[in-house]
Amino acid sequence: MPRQVLEDTLTADSIAADSALAASGDASAFERLYRTHVARVHTLVRRMLDADEADDVTQDVFIRAWQKLSTFRGESAFGTWLHRLAVNVVLARRKNVGIERGRFINAEAPLEGVTSKPVTPELSMDFEEALASLPEGARQVFVLHDVEGYRHEEIARMLGVVPGTSKSQLHHARMALRRHLER
Amino acid sequence: MNDQWTNRLSEYIDGELDRSERAVLEAHLATCGQCYATLGELRQVVARAKSLEDTPPTTDLWTGIARAIRSEQTPARRDRLVRRRFSLTVGQLLAASIALVLLSGGSAWFALQSSQSPEPTRIGGSTQRPRVGQVVTWTGHTDAAIADLQTALAQNEKRLDTATVRIVREALAIIDRAIADARIALQKDPGNAYLNLHLADTMRRKVELLRRVNDMAAARS
Repeated sequence: MPRQVLEDTLTADSIAADSALAASGDASAFERLYRTHVARVHTLVRRMLDADEADDVTQDVFIRAWQKLSTFRGESAFGTWLHRLAVNVVLARRKNVGIERGRFINAEAPLEGVTSKPVTPELSMDFEEALASLPEGARQVFVLHDVEGYRHEEIARMLGVVPGTSKSQLHHARMALRRHLER
Repeated sequence: MNDQWTNRLSEYIDGELDRSERAVLEAHLATCGQCYATLGELRQVVARAKSLEDTPPTTDLWTGIARAIRSEQTPARRDRLVRRRFSLTVGQLLAASIALVLLSGGSAWFALQSSQSPEPTRIGGSTQRPRVGQVVTWTGHTDAAIADLQTALAQNEKRLDTATVRIVREALAIIDRAIADARIALQKDPGNAYLNLHLADTMRRKVELLRRVNDMAAARS
């Protein structure tokens, strides 16, 4: 067996083992899962919401994961299950803080502001910073589609919009971000 | 640059235009340098998004999480979880512990794989120093014990529920793969102390698992 394949297999076995142990109440196993996945979850949360919310929401994701572990049946990888849970927590947070649907749909106006900035100052902005400066609707669609690989139909369902809105937001986000490509 | 076309560039990149729309847009791109340049930039944005890296939080969040889950981990919850898990997936927990052992063993194996072992191998209380090219021969007694236990399991497993049997078989398959890998590695490096111990430990775990499952089946008879 090639070394990398064996390493991947052992890592997957370890995560599956830890998820089974954590579901039985083993907090040490759950801490190992946290250490393995926290960077991915925190980055997703930070990109989807404001950076100053990321720590609290990340903690919330893992606490909910602990509460829901008994429902994890192992049909998908633990990382996939956790990631989907994180997206759901983020979207619930978005709803709870009153980011209403109307603002999502009407997010083109602030996007115009982003895209119309002069070129030179924009180039000095880091791509991640530029992503963070996008209006929330466009930012979330961009992250879900281009970074996380969800399809427009899935995004539309998650966000409660039509796929056409998701496509439009994605295009506007890309148009804004093209000015921030590191050259 | 025409908005009619630029607004379709993302759909073009994502392959969401039908054949006729695609043909019309490509004809436009052949004549419009600005749209062509924008297309290139949008493709770079898509590529950049895929290359973004994850970064951990600057502070360790585990303390707060641990505090929260500890407050939830009342004895009642623990008992409920353990009882439910044991009633449904005894074998899964066995597999879990085995997989963790194999992981630690496998990692050490990688670390040692390139090095020869100058140290003698201690197996079953005695010290041996296998020679290069020597085939592992010390496993005979364990092989026999495993064969006996597997025969017993074949007769006993009908007393176990299907899910447990399946999980036990999966766990045994994992162990057998690890044993096979260790034997192959030992053919190349018979003197490697770690590999000998790893094989012995893995076989011991197989014996333990078979004994435990047989005991479990016997308890249900």
